[in-house]
Amino acid sequence: MTAETAVRRTGAAGTAEASPRPRGQGLPAAGFLTPFLLLYLLFILGPALYGLVMSFFDTSAVKSGLNGFAGLGNYAEALQSSDFWSSLWHTFWFTILTTPPLIVLALVFALLADRVRRGRWFFRLAFFVPYVLPSAVVALIWMWIYTPGLGLIEAALTKAGITAPNWLGDPGWAMPSLAITTLWWTLGFNFVLYLAGLQEIPRELYEASAMDGASPWQQIRSITIPMLGRTTTLVAVLQVIASLKVFDQMYIMTSGGPNYATRSILEYVYDSGFTNFRIGYASAVSMLFFVVVLAVSAIWFSLVRRGEKEL
Amino acid sequence: MTVEARMKLFNRICAGVLIAFALLWLTPLAWALDTALKPNAETTRTTWKIDDPNVQAFARILRDTDIVRWFGSSLFISTLTALGTVVVASLAAFALSRMRFRHRNLLFWVVLAGIMIPSQVLIVPQFREMDSFHLLNTFWAVSLPQIPTAIAVFIFKQFFDGLPRELEEVARLDGAGYLRIYARIIMPLARPAIAAVVIFAFVTSWNDLLWPLLVLSNPDIMTMPVGLATVQGTFGIRYADTMASALLGAVPLVAVFLLFQRNIVEGFAGTGLKG
Amino acid sequence: MALTRRALLGGTAAAAVLGPAGCSGLTPGRDPGGTLDYWNLFGGGDGLRMTQMLDGYRSAHPGIDLSAVTLAWGNPYYTKLSLATLGDKPPDVGIAHLTRAKTLISAGLLEELKPADLARHGLDASNFSERPWQAGLVDGKAYAIPLDTHPFVMFYNTDICAKAGLLDSSGALQPIDSPEKFTEAMRKAKAVTKAYGGVVAIDNDVASPWRIFQSFYAQLQGQVLADEGRSVVLDDDKATRVLAFLQGLTRQGLLPGSIDYQGAIAVFANGQSGFYFQGEWEISTFQTAKMPFSMTLFPDVFGGGQYAVQADSHTLVIPRQPDRDQAGLDRSLAFIRSMLDQSDIWAEGGHVPAWVPFRDSAGYKAMTPQSNYASAVEGAAYDPEGWYSGSGSNFEIVMSAAIGSVLANRSSPAAALASMRSNLTSLARTASPV
Repeated sequence: MTAETAVRRTGAAGTAEASPRPRGQGLPAAGFLTPFLLLYLLFILGPALYGLVMSFFDTSAVKSGLNGFAGLGNYAEALQSSDFWSSLWHTFWFTILTTPPLIVLALVFALLADRVRRGRWFFRLAFFVPYVLPSAVVALIWMWIYTPGLGLIEAALTKAGITAPNWLGDPGWAMPSLAITTLWWTLGFNFVLYLAGLQEIPRELYEASAMDGASPWQQIRSITIPMLGRTTTLVAVLQVIASLKVFDQMYIMTSGGPNYATRSILEYVYDSGFTNFRIGYASAVSMLFFVVVLAVSAIWFSLVRRGEKEL
Repeated sequence: MTVEARMKLFNRICAGVLIAFALLWLTPLAWALDTALKPNAETTRTTWKIDDPNVQAFARILRDTDIVRWFGSSLFISTLTALGTVVVASLAAFALSRMRFRHRNLLFWVVLAGIMIPSQVLIVPQFREMDSFHLLNTFWAVSLPQIPTAIAVFIFKQFFDGLPRELEEVARLDGAGYLRIYARIIMPLARPAIAAVVIFAFVTSWNDLLWPLLVLSNPDIMTMPVGLATVQGTFGIRYADTMASALLGAVPLVAVFLLFQRNIVEGFAGTGLKG
Repeated sequence: MALTRRALLGGTAAAAVLGPAGCSGLTPGRDPGGTLDYWNLFGGGDGLRMTQMLDGYRSAHPGIDLSAVTLAWGNPYYTKLSLATLGDKPPDVGIAHLTRAKTLISAGLLEELKPADLARHGLDASNFSERPWQAGLVDGKAYAIPLDTHPFVMFYNTDICAKAGLLDSSGALQPIDSPEKFTEAMRKAKAVTKAYGGVVAIDNDVASPWRIFQSFYAQLQGQVLADEGRSVVLDDDKATRVLAFLQGLTRQGLLPGSIDYQGAIAVFANGQSGFYFQGEWEISTFQTAKMPFSMTLFPDVFGGGQYAVQADSHTLVIPRQPDRDQAGLDRSLAFIRSMLDQSDIWAEGGHVPAWVPFRDSAGYKAMTPQSNYASAVEGAAYDPEGWYSGSGSNFEIVMSAAIGSVLANRSSPAAALASMRSNLTSLARTASPV
């Protein structure tokens, strides 16, 4: 039921289904496939190839054509650029800050919600509504909450006698602040995935262990969490990949600042390509980013596979 | 204490903790609403109390900004994208699931590869492409690249594969062509898959920022997120107005969510997808 | 004007075009109608004054549907403006910093403003301050109409300076014309405030450290870039002198070594410092705070009579648009003229008007403290040319980071200089995308 299982299931169906049919469906099949393939070629594969080509040129946003040939110059520049590496690191730092709490809290909330019989709609509402909001709405609300001197959290902390940091203005605090916002925004999605996972655990398991006198805590540890293993790996994979693509929060809330402390790799692409007009260089950075996403996904998928075999 | 009583107590504590967190989660929205109901001048004190609650900030935003127009743009673009995705993806999935032809597996893997390409990687060449097609600042520029979604093809193919073949055998005996089978038999049965894809495509398109930010620079046709993100400076330090604009921007999707809560949550949980 | 108009209306075809232009801003209700999109980047006090000027335009031109958009300052604004122009849907008129307009011009994004068109609206070169007008020309052609010059200035608290004995008998600030006198003035003010002598924003600020550095450095006639940004010509001796001087000020506690933009405003507004260094636009902030202050030229510390100060100008530009007709161009130029005609409102906000008819008027001369520093225009040191330079640009960001670390005592002048040079060199080596 997931991207990953979808791939496996359809793959299996493709080989298992052996009922041979007469050839000659090629023409109608082409008719059915053409709209998708045309758009796919025009807007996905074509641009991917075009981007690869541009990454070897000094292409400019304000000039037509590819401009001068740069060879591997753009790649060399990116790999030697501290801006590239720092924005890559910011992206990872954001991923590190957001992924564990987004998994753990979502799991905890789902476990708690599983114990509550009534009013589950309320929890779904409370946790999931932020997720359907556009990033701009989330950003506007949280910028207000973080406003120095007037912000809600600062007021609460001040009452408790704690001096609040300058959330978005302090280079050290800006990224954690964005992570908190993201936690609030996207937790609901993982929460819902966990709720779905919990429903698939057979009730008999609990009943049996209850008869053996297991406490609720023991039940959670020995039944629920192991049974949720697959959901957890799925949540983790989706979460890591989503975090690597972060752009919106930084763009709106900090513009990558202060002192570039929150500029993500995608914002670096945006800055190089569209603020500095360096389309060719931005293409090279995009390609490097693509490689990173592929590498991270590959590592995660192999971990998932291994994890599932062990189960 | 009996096991049962212990269990009950445990469940009570769970409920209490969860309610506390749920309220915490609702606080930012409540605070935004609280701020929006204050006059701008009152927002310089951090308090929940409102001396003179009124909806003037909302009225000002509706009157002074293009927010209604942004809403229209978003609605049009997201609808176009969602419908386009459903049509082209289900057609392709139908061929991949129900027809035999050469290189079917190869084609399938080519489509599969699309899942691995994050759309964000393509913004630079896509922008260039739209520029050369003279489509910048049109709804097409936003919508077209979002329509060929490989994942949607999978959802449909997976669903179609699960439908019994006997259904169409009968129709075929009656002389029905593929298009007829697709339109009259398969698609009506594929409601859950359609719902999942529509919801997913619509919400993803509605909330997208980076791409429309690049191709829509004209405030007249900006989408809601781009409009809110771009002209925030206009409000300056008028926090009530800013919060009113944020809440107005939130209303459409929250309303849709409240109406179709169950379907949306299940749709997301079922497809396991994320933008 | 009326006579000219009548003469023009003699039945020639040109009259249809020239008529409405000739009466720009004067006769309400005679506009042919149409729409006008205008983009700017003004927040705070500037934003409020701009709104007032737009209202002025609207009431004079009720037939024109003016839609004004304010976008986030700095790089985001210029990115948006460039993308919109590339996408053939730019605003009819936009604001651009003079130093940023240069790059937009080389990128081919701005319309050349032909002398004949300008003359029709009374926008001849002679009507503008020479310095901003000349600085905006590319190959002798005009693209950007200067609205103002906004120099870096010195704000001072009149009460504190009086107590510190820094004012002369007429109540004006005694001249500060050497590093020693500058330090002395800060010391005396600090003795009164018991906190700081002066204050300049440092932390997370992409512009202020550069502005104060450039003001001193330009007084030494130092240059940073040459050859349109393709080579770095930092003068080690001069730069070190300035950096060491700045570091000395924070080391001695005369200026805070760690403070951000808002914090710096607060220090001055709360009387914790006698001086505040920033662009003149912050005038509205302190007027609102109802504090005793005045403003004057940023002191000529290193110049020895050759005055220089960091400055930039807001200009009005017409982005390139494929289907703009003559009527549209005239509508845009008439709008620009209307903004210039309201230079008094703009000058209230601190900016030095570029529009000579107002600059030379008695009304402006009587406007204090705004007219105190009007002569800064002659010494305006604009950011060096280069595709990566200009207000809020990569150049300022790189420079401010290095200068800020010196002010904050995090690095030595030599280390900062090395970091400037290496960052600038990599920018200079990058082939210009425009």
